[in-house]
Amino acid sequence: MDCGQLAPLYEEYALGILEGEERAEMETHLARNCPLCTPGIAKARWVVSHLALAAPDAPPPAALRGKIMDAVKASADKVPSAKTSPEKAHAVTSIENPPAKREIFPLWAWAAAAALALITGYTIRQMGNQNSQMAELRKEMKLATLQTQALRNQLDEDRMVASVMMAPESMPLKLMPKDKNMPMVHAYLHPHMGVAITADQMPSMSAAITLQLWFLPKKGSPMSIAIFRPDSSGQIALVAPVNMPMNEIAALAVTEEPAGGSPRPTGSPAWMAQVN
Amino acid sequence: MLLAVVQPWPEGKQPPDAELMERILRRDSSALETLYDRYARPVYSLVLRISQQPASAEEIVQDVFLQLWKSADRFQISRGPLEPWLFTMARNRALDFLRLKREKQRRREDSVEGDLPIAAIERPDPEGDIDSSRRAEKIRALLSSLPDAQRRAIELAFFEGLSHSEVASAMGEALGTVKSWIRGGLLRLRESLEEARS
Repeated sequence: MDCGQLAPLYEEYALGILEGEERAEMETHLARNCPLCTPGIAKARWVVSHLALAAPDAPPPAALRGKIMDAVKASADKVPSAKTSPEKAHAVTSIENPPAKREIFPLWAWAAAAALALITGYTIRQMGNQNSQMAELRKEMKLATLQTQALRNQLDEDRMVASVMMAPESMPLKLMPKDKNMPMVHAYLHPHMGVAITADQMPSMSAAITLQLWFLPKKGSPMSIAIFRPDSSGQIALVAPVNMPMNEIAALAVTEEPAGGSPRPTGSPAWMAQVN
Repeated sequence: MLLAVVQPWPEGKQPPDAELMERILRRDSSALETLYDRYARPVYSLVLRISQQPASAEEIVQDVFLQLWKSADRFQISRGPLEPWLFTMARNRALDFLRLKREKQRRREDSVEGDLPIAAIERPDPEGDIDSSRRAEKIRALLSSLPDAQRRAIELAFFEGLSHSEVASAMGEALGTVKSWIRGGLLRLRESLEEARS
């Protein structure tokens, strides 16, 4: 199931009544931190929580407030004290300084202890070597895990882009470059799944500059939709949420902005496409 | 006319929830008192509706607010407002209690003693939070406008914690019918709230 199919189930999931395959699908999807469904579920929780207000009104018992505040105070008082009571202090002293005891320790026992110390030293050294090997292995595994995670994230992003591109309700748009030497940027505008942006053969960019996608509404100021950069191979593939009705969008524009993006476009669009 | 429903408390009258949660993180117990005064009534009403037992409801509400005090760091304002978080925590705890009670009843068929029947509880305090009660009235009106069976299905799901198939079984209706009732009712609730917010 893709985001579009899961969206009508948000409230039922928030209510906790989804079962079986639908629930499993939703949980698997949310585990990938989907940028569309995660805020969708948060909003559904907000909607569903309003049902709490349908409960018959009943004031809490007057004493409850005091009970709670007493419990809070009691929990604050439980902070462990650095001071030790005289009885405890005595007990600690007794454990740390046991009464002197005279022992008879034969020579063979000294020899055995020395042999044991030698074996222990050798074992510790061996363990030290093994530990450093283990640490190296752990480092490599961590790196491999991070690389796998990055690939998985990219794969998820690509899947989402493909879902939006192939959805029948998506509106394909070509964002034409102002500079004829730059490649064209493609956009696919879907009313619920978001806007997918793709491009190839983008030139490398200075670290001080970022690209920023804007919706230009028929009325009002440009709305920032996404901040992005081409990857090392010059490709762009991302999905950003559409947070205004499609019929109110006059155009899509991409501007070059200082790293981190800008609250308003600081220059004329580097790419642009009319929508309505 | 659901405007009041989605604008819970007028700005400037009282410190916002996020500020109070920040103060709780700094161990300011007066912030918890303010939050208690703000939310205890709807939270208690919800928990009592689910548990049906005033003594148990009191314990659950106490537990919810102590949890708020102890785990304030788990709340992130960037992920949404406090009210849904608090109501969800209260509902989950009350439903846990209800499920445990059902399980005990199923095993031993004990009669529960010691708690007052629901009809004997105190009536609403007229000097309570007027805004909160207005919002509640709006939500109740919205639910009342639904056909009886649809409203019942939603109530069973929310207040009894029943799943789709359990609601269908409890109502003697087809699973598909119950699903469409609940889905339709929730959609209507969402549309009303969105309409009021825009």
